[in-house]
Amino acid sequence: MSAMIEMKNVTKEFKVLNRREGLKGSLKDLFSRDYKIVRAVDDISMHIEQGEMVGYLGPNGAGKSTTIKMMTGVLEPTSGEILVGGNVPYQNRTKNAQEIGVVFGQRSQLWWALPLIESFRILKDIYQIPNEKYENMLALYRSLVDIDPLLHKPIRQMSLGQRTLSDILAAFLHDPKIVFLDEPTIGLDVSMKSKIRTLIHALNQEKKTTVILTTHDMGDVDALCQRIVIIDKGKMLYDNDMAHLKSFFGSYRTLKIRTDGAMKQQAQTIQQEFSAFSVTADEERISILVDEDQSKVIDVLAQIQKTYAIRDMQLEEISTENVIQKIYEEGVQ
Amino acid sequence: MKRKGLSFYVRIYLKILAQDIKSKMSYRTDFIISTIGMIFTNISGFVSFWILFRNFPSINGWNYDEMLFLYGFSLVSLTPVQCFFDNNWSLRMYVYSGDFIKYCFRPINLFFYYQSEVFDIKGLGQFAFGIGTLVYAWGKIGLAVTPFMLLKMVVFLLTASFIMIALQNAAAATCFWIQNSFYLLDLTFRFKDYAKYPITIFSPVFRFIFTFVIPIAFIAYYPSLVVLRPDAVPILSWISPIIGIIFLWFSYKIWMLGAMKYSGTGS
Repeated sequence: MSAMIEMKNVTKEFKVLNRREGLKGSLKDLFSRDYKIVRAVDDISMHIEQGEMVGYLGPNGAGKSTTIKMMTGVLEPTSGEILVGGNVPYQNRTKNAQEIGVVFGQRSQLWWALPLIESFRILKDIYQIPNEKYENMLALYRSLVDIDPLLHKPIRQMSLGQRTLSDILAAFLHDPKIVFLDEPTIGLDVSMKSKIRTLIHALNQEKKTTVILTTHDMGDVDALCQRIVIIDKGKMLYDNDMAHLKSFFGSYRTLKIRTDGAMKQQAQTIQQEFSAFSVTADEERISILVDEDQSKVIDVLAQIQKTYAIRDMQLEEISTENVIQKIYEEGVQ
Repeated sequence: MKRKGLSFYVRIYLKILAQDIKSKMSYRTDFIISTIGMIFTNISGFVSFWILFRNFPSINGWNYDEMLFLYGFSLVSLTPVQCFFDNNWSLRMYVYSGDFIKYCFRPINLFFYYQSEVFDIKGLGQFAFGIGTLVYAWGKIGLAVTPFMLLKMVVFLLTASFIMIALQNAAAATCFWIQNSFYLLDLTFRFKDYAKYPITIFSPVFRFIFTFVIPIAFIAYYPSLVVLRPDAVPILSWISPIIGIIFLWFSYKIWMLGAMKYSGTGS
């Protein structure tokens, strides 16, 4: 197995003007040399093998986009080394582009006015895809999704879901070594999300394409990724497989209950009672994150039932979202 | 991967063009209305020109037919920029919204890929109208029809279009550095209206500006002198093809420089 992506101590800094407030401040800024250095990506190293599907997570502004831009060659790292499929992306932007596919959830890269099949034909020429490969790819697509109703529809008449689907198909068309998917399921309904996940999974299996997936939807990660990388404030927080993370946090369960009366007030008193666990509430229900090493869910439930009338209850395995939140709060080590 | 030469790009361009025209024609009402609009734009442009010259039989030694020649020359030379580089007008929006990044991931020339996306069919009407005017004026003035004359026409029409394309590229590319570059682009485009007059009618200051700063005098005046006044051609006319090519190359470099330093907005 060869490394598809190799990042060594990559750092990216931006020079940002210190902006002042108000109109007067703006006028001063016109002549200001007062810059500060912002480190968007801070000493990140990664090694990704062929065929891996990696979830790249982090809150907004964590440096995800900056990393992706460096991998695709749009940005040059301030220091460190990146090799993508053997190329230095920034120096061989065109060559790198031949080897990768990119999808932005809400920005279609296809020709707006053209039907999908015509976009495919132009892409076939741009990427110089041989006829046989092209036909095989279309046949594969046909076996995975129902593309025929899409093929003759102009992109601008498509729904967001159809457009995302088309963009993903277009990104895989030239059989790239690596595909970058930036929030591919954003804004889609549940059935479309699952359709798109199935498609990505199948293409990854079939073509052994390396996939880098950034998302805020933990469902995507759960369904697709064996490995996740989490960054925050430009620094790497976690890089390991999904199972490891789950086993680490495995003893946690979320208990959700609905009681009579105002949830939020009750949540406060419950929090006082179980100070070891984090308790949150919304209009609908109270959620208690129970660490089963400390006390069993059933005991917690029994305790609450003494004071409150429980109308409804639910037990949930910990979601990746909770995991990440816990990492932010406490760290993995 | 094969080398991507001129024929590669021509093939891709024609393919996109064919599809684009096909899809435009499928919106029939839209197509008809914009065609009618285009005809009226040309007619009204011509009428205002005609009214002006009804009152002044000659301007600074240039008679009606010669002015008509200049007018036709500028229409034809503005066609390429109108047809092939119209997407420059949207560049500012793409850069501002961050959508420009979608052009950065294809293994072909970025400038080509960006410009190939839009072909403005309206330019063709202008072209036909301009050619008609030129042919008419040609006959009226009584210019000879020799291969050498025609060659000169082709070379200098190309020169003029290069300069206009270069001007527009450079003006559009400023949006990579300046947030609101529309005014600059608009300004350059407005100045082109002065291109259809002989530069000698302007004061020396403007003559200097239109020759060296915003070189719109090269869009019709200097090149057409070669055909209209063969015995008094200034040196600037003869070197204008070279100026055109250099200027075009520079504007391309500036555009690409801006595009390469572009890094998009956060997402």
